[in-house]
Amino acid sequence: MGGVIGFAGLSHLGIVSSIATASKGFRVVAWDGSEILCDELTAGELPVHEPGLPELLEDCRGRIEFTADAERLHDCDVVVFSIDIPTSSANESDCSALDRLIDSVLPQLSPQSTLVVLSQVRPGYTRGLSERIHATPGFENTVVHYQVETLIFGRAVERAVSPERFMIGCADPAEPLPPAFQAMLEAFDCPLLPMRFESAELCKTAINLFLVASVSTTNTLSELCEGIGADWFEIAPALRLDKRIGPHAYLHPGLGLSGGNLERDLVTLTSLACQVGSDHGVIDAYVNNSVYRRDWVLRTLHEQLDTGRRKPQVAVWGLAYKPQTHSIKNSPSVALIEHLRAHHVAVYDPQAKFPGAPPRHVIMAETALDACRGADALIVMTPWPEFGSIDLQQAADQLNGSLVLDPLGCLDEATCRRLGLAYRKLGVNPLPKDLAA
Amino acid sequence: MINHLHQQPSSPRRVVILGGSGFIGKTLAKRLRDAGTEVVALSSSDLNLTADDAPEKLARQLQPTDALVFASCLTPDKGKDIGTTMQNLAMGHHVATALEQSPVAHVIYISSDAVYADDVSLASETAKCEPASLYGMGHLMRERMMETAAASGDLPLFILRASLVYGNDDTHNSYGPNRFRRAAAEKGQIDLFGGGEETRDHIAIDDVCRLIEQALLHRSTGILNAATGVSTSFFDVATLVAEFADGDVKVNCSQRRNPVTHRKYDITNTLKAFPNFRFKTLREGVAECAKQAKQTGSLKAVA
Repeated sequence: MGGVIGFAGLSHLGIVSSIATASKGFRVVAWDGSEILCDELTAGELPVHEPGLPELLEDCRGRIEFTADAERLHDCDVVVFSIDIPTSSANESDCSALDRLIDSVLPQLSPQSTLVVLSQVRPGYTRGLSERIHATPGFENTVVHYQVETLIFGRAVERAVSPERFMIGCADPAEPLPPAFQAMLEAFDCPLLPMRFESAELCKTAINLFLVASVSTTNTLSELCEGIGADWFEIAPALRLDKRIGPHAYLHPGLGLSGGNLERDLVTLTSLACQVGSDHGVIDAYVNNSVYRRDWVLRTLHEQLDTGRRKPQVAVWGLAYKPQTHSIKNSPSVALIEHLRAHHVAVYDPQAKFPGAPPRHVIMAETALDACRGADALIVMTPWPEFGSIDLQQAADQLNGSLVLDPLGCLDEATCRRLGLAYRKLGVNPLPKDLAA
Repeated sequence: MINHLHQQPSSPRRVVILGGSGFIGKTLAKRLRDAGTEVVALSSSDLNLTADDAPEKLARQLQPTDALVFASCLTPDKGKDIGTTMQNLAMGHHVATALEQSPVAHVIYISSDAVYADDVSLASETAKCEPASLYGMGHLMRERMMETAAASGDLPLFILRASLVYGNDDTHNSYGPNRFRRAAAEKGQIDLFGGGEETRDHIAIDDVCRLIEQALLHRSTGILNAATGVSTSFFDVATLVAEFADGDVKVNCSQRRNPVTHRKYDITNTLKAFPNFRFKTLREGVAECAKQAKQTGSLKAVA
């Protein structure tokens, strides 16, 4: 396999992408300014948790070099900038770290290298960057591309090794891609879609807006189901069989948007719409729906839990914003726990922790069953697969009360009911006969 | 979003209540005094807030450590016209002017859910404020006046938007539990618009006052709805009132003339701001009213 591929910035995205590229047979130089990080990666110690990643790295260790020496990027045919773009508390992207990275690395690079931005940037960024690079003496003819990243935490390896398609932003999509970049992309054996920089930059956001539309529609309808006695899970299969909706549509009710990426994209789109004077009313509605839906557990707990105790005790399973990650950014669980100050809260999560000491009303339990001991209610906030295999009889034995709030349907509903637990999840309320029982 | 300047509850030195003889003001004053708080309750006979000299008179009453509860308002039963609205605005203007002259430690403005657009069926504090009535517009304007005064004087401001408040001392006679109880006592029948299908959120006066007390204790800032989160149809309210009334009470439906509308409240912000707060159920509230009415011998006469 010809061509050496460089990666600059070993974020979650950079680590996974560089290893995936090496797994396709390319020689990879993976650079980061942190020597400690590079030493750890060289030793096979991964700072991110992604299923299959350790094995993938083991398979291609001979082809990937982790280095803090930027000069090692000089001989690369393609250099991919792959840092995570941070977002502010208002969900606004901040590309300044990417600017600084490119400015610091550019002097070490060969003008003949193809430069690829993999970090997710605002529409308009790459054309501006391209002009800036071309204004740098020696780099007047350097080719710049933008590649849409499609990383999903917890499924990053699968997505990186077997992408559905590549969306490549180009200064002029009519121009052929540089051979080394073309060869790298073709190694992944998926459709290749060259398009304008601006189209590619908006493409990722467009994908996410369609996901948000599905999520918001699902959440709106599932709440209606709870209100009128319908069961969303009886409706969803019918929708999946509709070709216009499809078998992979996001039809699982959730607690609004979380994780930060979709929220960031909504902020970006609203800002762009304001800039060009287009209507963004529908985006505002998605944001409002998400904020409202996030508090389903708090409202349902208020409605359903009446212990008469001054400070009821609740068990919370899950702290991470989704399974297979230790990230708690924008986690619904963390948001909920913050508002359970009138409760004693015992939390269990297989990986995630509070960054410092937990809040005063919270204790971290060693096991899921420990968290349940003496609790008036059990709340399942992150659908870790292991929660589905916990012996619910044992959990019920530990509980003091019977209320189980399992918004995402992690536990077996029938078993919960058989054990006499008052089970609630999103999208469906019990039939009157079950309530009577 | 509600912020508490006092995370740990701390009673204000003194509470000045404007609208001290009104339904909310009078009940609040009694509760606060019973709890040992010094209260100055001013009614329109003590201080006419619509008068030109009201700002100076009020400013002289206020001390920097006071909490001011502005609960004075001419409600729709006193008039829905422009003149009434202008009087309400004059009160708001004068209170704002007084606060600029004589800042206090905390301001609580008692507003109304009439500030929301009529078609808001699920109301949170971020619902669109497009009042259909002059009364609602007056409250929205007064909210803005208080916000302006608070911003210029850096005063902590809490706005409470009350939904339908009920209780025996209610001086109004608006459609709902208060009017139903009187009708049941006086006529033995309750007349509904249509079938009484509309659902609304009815909150007990004690719960409204407890929310104000919580805001006073925490020196809270922000906007909160005073609503229970549970909406009940007027038919069910009437049936409940009839159940607790003396003797048989007939609930009469009539031909509907207006379309059915509903309103429910998202009380998430209340649950977050005051996690220990528990509302009375409507059944508990109506039962209490009936019991109190029996003890006192009569229902409050309608003003």
